[in-house]
Amino acid sequence: MNRTKAFTIPYVVWMAIFVVAPIIMVVIYAFSGADGGFTLANFASMGDYTVVFVRSFRLAIIATVICLVIGYPVAYLLSREGARFQRLATVLIMLPMWMNFLLRTYAWMAILENNGLINQFLGLFGLGPFQMIDTQGAVVLGMVYNYLPFMILPIYSVIIKLDHSLVEAAHDLGANSVVTFLRVILPLSLPGVLSGITMVFVPSVSTFAISTMLGGGTEFLLGDLIEQQFLGGAYNPQLGAAIALVMMVIVVLCMWVMNRFGEGEEQAVVL
Amino acid sequence: MKKNSALSRAFTFLVFLFLYAPIILLIIFSFNQNNSNVVWGGFSLNWYRELFHNRIIMRSLYTTLLVSLLATVIATIAGTFAAIGFYGLRRRTRNVLNTVNNIPMMNADIVTGVAMCLFFVAFFAGWKDFALWFNSVQTLFELPTRLTLGFPTLLIAHITFNIPYVLLSVSPKLRQLDKNMIDAALDLGCTWFQAFWKVILPQIKPGIVSGALTAFTMSIDDFIISYFTAGSSSSTLSMTIYGMTKKRVSPEINAISTLLFVTVLLLLAIINIREARQEKLALRQQAAPASLPAAAGNPGRRKPRAPSWLAKAAAGIACTGVLATAAVGAFQNTRQPVVNVCSWGEYIDEDLITQFEEETGILVNYQTVESNEALYSLLKVGAGDYDVIVPSDYMISQLIEEGMLEKLDYDQIPNFSLIGEQFRNLPYDPTNEYTVPYTWGTVGIIYNTTMVEEPITSWGAMFDDKYAGEVLMFRNSRDAMATALLYLGYDLNTTDEAQLREAAGLIADAKSRGVYQAFVMDEIFLKMEGGNAAIGAYYAGDYLTAVENNPDLAFVIPEEGSNWFVDAMCVLKDAPHYNEAMAWINFIASTEANLRNMDFIWYASPNKEALEQYPAYYEALYEEELDQETYDIIAAPQEVLDRCQSYVVLPKETRRLYNELWIKLGIQ
Repeated sequence: MNRTKAFTIPYVVWMAIFVVAPIIMVVIYAFSGADGGFTLANFASMGDYTVVFVRSFRLAIIATVICLVIGYPVAYLLSREGARFQRLATVLIMLPMWMNFLLRTYAWMAILENNGLINQFLGLFGLGPFQMIDTQGAVVLGMVYNYLPFMILPIYSVIIKLDHSLVEAAHDLGANSVVTFLRVILPLSLPGVLSGITMVFVPSVSTFAISTMLGGGTEFLLGDLIEQQFLGGAYNPQLGAAIALVMMVIVVLCMWVMNRFGEGEEQAVVL
Repeated sequence: MKKNSALSRAFTFLVFLFLYAPIILLIIFSFNQNNSNVVWGGFSLNWYRELFHNRIIMRSLYTTLLVSLLATVIATIAGTFAAIGFYGLRRRTRNVLNTVNNIPMMNADIVTGVAMCLFFVAFFAGWKDFALWFNSVQTLFELPTRLTLGFPTLLIAHITFNIPYVLLSVSPKLRQLDKNMIDAALDLGCTWFQAFWKVILPQIKPGIVSGALTAFTMSIDDFIISYFTAGSSSSTLSMTIYGMTKKRVSPEINAISTLLFVTVLLLLAIINIREARQEKLALRQQAAPASLPAAAGNPGRRKPRAPSWLAKAAAGIACTGVLATAAVGAFQNTRQPVVNVCSWGEYIDEDLITQFEEETGILVNYQTVESNEALYSLLKVGAGDYDVIVPSDYMISQLIEEGMLEKLDYDQIPNFSLIGEQFRNLPYDPTNEYTVPYTWGTVGIIYNTTMVEEPITSWGAMFDDKYAGEVLMFRNSRDAMATALLYLGYDLNTTDEAQLREAAGLIADAKSRGVYQAFVMDEIFLKMEGGNAAIGAYYAGDYLTAVENNPDLAFVIPEEGSNWFVDAMCVLKDAPHYNEAMAWINFIASTEANLRNMDFIWYASPNKEALEQYPAYYEALYEEELDQETYDIIAAPQEVLDRCQSYVVLPKETRRLYNELWIKLGIQ
């Protein structure tokens, strides 16, 4: 297998040039003032944004959990359908995202508005109107809607390749469906779950358009805060870089903890 | 294997419904007669017809497909090999690389975009020194010294943010892979490549497919990274759509999305039907023992399927076609005179671009951004090497102050003489050396007459408990603060900290009392047209667009006065196509162009002839009279303008204060 290590070389070179080098520039920015000199001032004000950090991470975690709760069953059920339906479904899950994000979010606004489709429908039965748009719930819905495919697909692609004889063995050894699922299928699909969590949680934390459109734009998320430094009136890229950096460090820590937990789990299963 | 129960099928169906609900709505509204996304005006194919005449959209569609396909193919191959490489690494090394791999995903898009742009710009500067030195030491061939952002940098950026997704999709599959299988294949005499092709690849194929799908999706949806890496000559569909948000997203976009969507759906259906037919065929053949070898390659599976030669040929033809057109496109760009224009979306009658190209032979690269601040940010990091830009008044004075604009050669712009006296020598350009006005307009309050008790006359309505939960505030600090400053009777351009804090306090207080339904920009169309909000502050020209779809709306410039603004054309310092820029500016300043633009965007023209002739032009075009009230809203009469004030650039400390107050408001 030694030979395969060479495959990482082009990747490492590419990432070093186009990911690491730009990131170093972000770090330099984060530690410099408007005049270019070294300063820690950008981090000094970080405490003011605690509320935003907490809010963003809370919403992202909620969205990730919901995605997992919905996405896992879908992936699992899908893997038990016919081969042709499966092929179709994998594309169908992704297809909505080929319509522009902005358009889809506008459509959600039209659905959730006070005068929107749902409220009009409920109005037929004399219910409502309910306030749905411009709430944190709507923001979470936007995140779930947008990132659900990123949860379903990795889980599905792992489950579909599970060695079915393991499931049969479990049944032969007297395990019922629930136990088989919990003790065999679930642990074996964990790598997919971890990928899914990363792919949902990470973009949810840094999103900005969802909160401005579905959340009413009144409560900033981290993404809004960062965007404001670049595209707002003041143009303060140094502060923007600093906030982004702090956010990244926190996310890396979260991922690190999760992956440790994940890898240990995987090995336990193999043993 | 057990089949799924009806209940679990229903669950899957519901999830699909959830994913498709907005899509269905979008498709329905692509057939809407009017330009609203909430108010149904009857069935029409209007937007599909318009679409094929809209060259900005068609061009950006082409760029989008090209960059997304190329980036997906390259990223999928690179990501897959990288994943295989990762697989053989020790865990510690792999963990480090995994973290690096996650960076592009973790980083806020805008930071990635800006970082890459800074990196490219730094590289170009270094390259220039190198090329100059290289050209001076030898004469065999000459290296180009001036590199700019463009399609290649856009592609690099897309590949870079796509690879992590591929890797994340393929890695779990590899972890499932039994290493012994590869060893067995090698022991049995396979070359490494054969083992890869016949053993590894089939095992990890689902991961590769979902990785490629994800990559393509990310590419097609991305706009902010593209913004900072695409340069001035290419723009993707997403960039075009976001550019439209300063005014409103055109329903043509719904139409193009529907077409894309239906195309993919049809393709899927065709593939599926073919596969079904072939599976049947294979089953029949399997029944006959003579054809056993055909199925032997895939024991235990109901294949073979897919006419691989056909698929390969089709893919080959498609790739060559795309590459050929790309090459031709790139070639054309270098030979034809060009002008790079950056403006707002939905801000020009596009026939004018075609007409200009036909008359002068100059190719127009027309790009759009969504706000003055986004434009400034692009220019500041070095992402936009535009020739002509169309910023608003206060941004112009900021750009002049920072030495970012070039003086115009008015000898080449004879049409400047048609610009009305009141639009010359304005505070943002007191000696009028840098600008030719493009449009002007006013800010006021749009309100729904059925939802308010009496006509709105004062900015006080924006802070009044009476309409709590029904008011829409601007989502940009300058305009939002202006509403409060006007209400309090302060100067719009005040730098007095106490006054600004008082104004921000007024908004914050109203916010905490629940006055605001939302902070909006172009979402206001949806909210006002659909009767979801009663009051909203916005621009006069956009009110006229909204009132077409909801006749209950009314517009007022409050008694305290208001802001009036001018957007003007200027040329950036060191613009590479200065003379072409002059030709463009002169063309747009003509009376004919102004009439057509005024009719298209409903913002007033600064051209005095166009301003006078517009009612007659309107009557000739639509065979109905333009009523005076509408005309006065487009082009506010002098007595109204006298009550209005324009923005000038604020000193840096004040801008910082604005930002600080604004963020405090958002955190609250």
